[in-house]
Amino acid sequence: MITVVLFFLAFSLLLYVLLGGADFGAGIIELFSSEDNQKITKKTIYRVMGPVWEANHIWIIILIVILWVAFPQYYKVMVTSLHIPITLMLIGITLRGVAFVFRHYDAYVDNSQRIYNWLFRVSSLVTPIFLGMIFGGMISSKIVIPTEEFTPSFAEAYITPWFNPFSFLVGIFFASLCAFLSAVLLIGEADEEGYPVYVRKAKIATIVVVILGFITISYGYFADRYFVEGIIKNPISVSMIILSALCLVPLWFFIKKGNRIYSRIFAGIQVILIIAVALIPHFPNILLIKNESMSLLQNTAPDSVIKVLGISLLIGGGIILPGLFHLLKSFKLIKILERR
Amino acid sequence: MENIDAARLQMAFTLIFHIVFACIGMVMPFFMVVSHKKWLNTGNPVYLQLTKAWQKGVAIFFVIGAVSGTALSFELGLLWPEFMEHAGPIIGMPFSLEGAAFFVEAIALGFYLYGWNKIPPKFHWFTGVIVGIAGVASGILVVSANGWMNAPSGFDYVDGKFLNIDPVAALLNPAWFTQALHMVLAAFTATGFAVAGIHAIQILRNKQKEIHKKAFKIAITFGAIAAILQPISGDISAKDVAKRQPVKLAAMEAHYETAKGVPLYIGGIVDHQQKEVHYKIEIPNALSFLAFGDFNAEIKGLNDFPEDEIPNVPIVHYAFQIMVGLGGILLFAGLFFFFVNARKKQWLSKKFFWKVFALLTPAGFIALEAGWIVTEVGRQPWIIHKIMRTKDAVTPMPGIVYSFFLYVILYSILTLAVAWLLRRQIKSLNNTPKLSV
Repeated sequence: MITVVLFFLAFSLLLYVLLGGADFGAGIIELFSSEDNQKITKKTIYRVMGPVWEANHIWIIILIVILWVAFPQYYKVMVTSLHIPITLMLIGITLRGVAFVFRHYDAYVDNSQRIYNWLFRVSSLVTPIFLGMIFGGMISSKIVIPTEEFTPSFAEAYITPWFNPFSFLVGIFFASLCAFLSAVLLIGEADEEGYPVYVRKAKIATIVVVILGFITISYGYFADRYFVEGIIKNPISVSMIILSALCLVPLWFFIKKGNRIYSRIFAGIQVILIIAVALIPHFPNILLIKNESMSLLQNTAPDSVIKVLGISLLIGGGIILPGLFHLLKSFKLIKILERR
Repeated sequence: MENIDAARLQMAFTLIFHIVFACIGMVMPFFMVVSHKKWLNTGNPVYLQLTKAWQKGVAIFFVIGAVSGTALSFELGLLWPEFMEHAGPIIGMPFSLEGAAFFVEAIALGFYLYGWNKIPPKFHWFTGVIVGIAGVASGILVVSANGWMNAPSGFDYVDGKFLNIDPVAALLNPAWFTQALHMVLAAFTATGFAVAGIHAIQILRNKQKEIHKKAFKIAITFGAIAAILQPISGDISAKDVAKRQPVKLAAMEAHYETAKGVPLYIGGIVDHQQKEVHYKIEIPNALSFLAFGDFNAEIKGLNDFPEDEIPNVPIVHYAFQIMVGLGGILLFAGLFFFFVNARKKQWLSKKFFWKVFALLTPAGFIALEAGWIVTEVGRQPWIIHKIMRTKDAVTPMPGIVYSFFLYVILYSILTLAVAWLLRRQIKSLNNTPKLSV
């Protein structure tokens, strides 16, 4: 059953990055657009994201519920050491959600739209940066666990783990990945007017993602991080990086062509590879801790809990996934199903 | 401020905020689908207009409920890591099912909000029904997790360790049913009266009377039925608390001396130092009867509990009085509505009728929050009743007071912003030209 639980953990993470990420990215694209394009994007986002918007953001709840139910000690270390960026991310999520409903449901369209738009765009950028910083904090091997001989200072325990250049780079990288996903998604959703805009944005975003990815990994390497070393020494992750580089060629080609189906597929492949590269080399150590080694699979919840959780996830998945699929299909978000 | 106090205040404040949005987001879909159904059946465009107006309300409240709920799901761990480390796996089942129910709700809401003229009308209406049912299901599941904190079950506690965990028994803990029933009825009462009250105010202001009267009737019917049923649920809850958490019952009634044939106190000022209640109204033997169904039953007083196992008596007592008092008023208001509707239709054109309901707009929510305070403050000093103390569960990170203030500022601004947004919704509804046939 632990395999089922791990599968759903990875699956929720993937879907949150893909769907939630594309959603954050839409705001980032709006932020970095000319005024005319902002209007087009706002309209497109409402039409495209509106129906699935809430569902996209529930994956993170599923993710943390699985974490705390099945891996309680892991969860405890995370929420204690990364308390501050998690709180900041939550505020970002709150403001972004509020700005989204306000700008689409305010009965009058007037000057207050400027505030909503601004809030939506800025929180769309800031929230994924914090999300990335949280993940950066998890893997930057700066988290410390107090022991009997060692009591960390406030900064060591609650600030340094996430407030460091590497985490920040991971944050920026994740935000750029969101923008990239969104641009590719919007290629397929835009009308005549928006189409060339998103092809161009997707091209720019691809370049930014590649450059930032390279900078993040190199910084990690030169600052001699345990995390990057693990990636380089592991044949699986190295081959995945090579595969990801090779896949950039067809990705670029399909984006340039504005192909609605294959640009999405290759963008999805990139995300899967990035997540795999980040998680596989050190697995089952997801949290990299300075003074200890902590495996996700140690101290899991008792078997009775894992069993019930696994069954709940299977039943829940059996209800939710067809519903979600039907929702995406009804609002024509799955392009491959459409006859052209 | 001590870290523990800041953490408790933050938890209380964010929950009090979330509950309002969660309840409205859970109950309003029912009003919406009733109106929608009436439109489908009668073809009266006023119902369509009302459905669309309410749907906007649902969307706004649902989203704010969802984001504040997301924040809360993290907050449990951020503020109480020690609690979550041990309790998380045990109460994982209600939370994972709640996640699933919430997901269903979000999917159904996506269909409903964006499905106008895109999906078959009957299916479209049905997705609205699912929004409501899934909302109530997630409400029940979350309350079940809270019930477990009051009535921990589904494990053996041996030498500080939680062994033989049975998640199903934890989900079906002894408190889940009474608490969930009370909460669901409270949500319907509070939302019903709040929505009805807002429409009553519009009727008093002479705006778009036709639509507001229809809206009022739908909302108040739900609210009144729930308010009339609530005392039954309250009675079950009281008897359950008397058995399971006698100290909470004693605090609710500020009952200090163990005695037989205990009177029920109404109102009064608690003097916790002197262990007395001044200026109260006494109903002889009533508490004994209400708690145990026997006028002479013995009820243990606060003096016979260890000093460090007693919650803050004045807060629990006052909150309980507010809840019961307002609950009683709403019960009579509900009966009053049914009476007028059946026998005195002519009163519907009288101002005083609408004034009554306009005045009661916030009453349900005040009662609901007071009830929540009774159960939560009344549980203290335990985070898991008789197993783990709240002070042992709090995060080791200092400075929670800053995050508390941050939330106070953020949520206060949000409350004002939502109020402003709703005013604009109503204004726009009042200014739309008459559609009626």
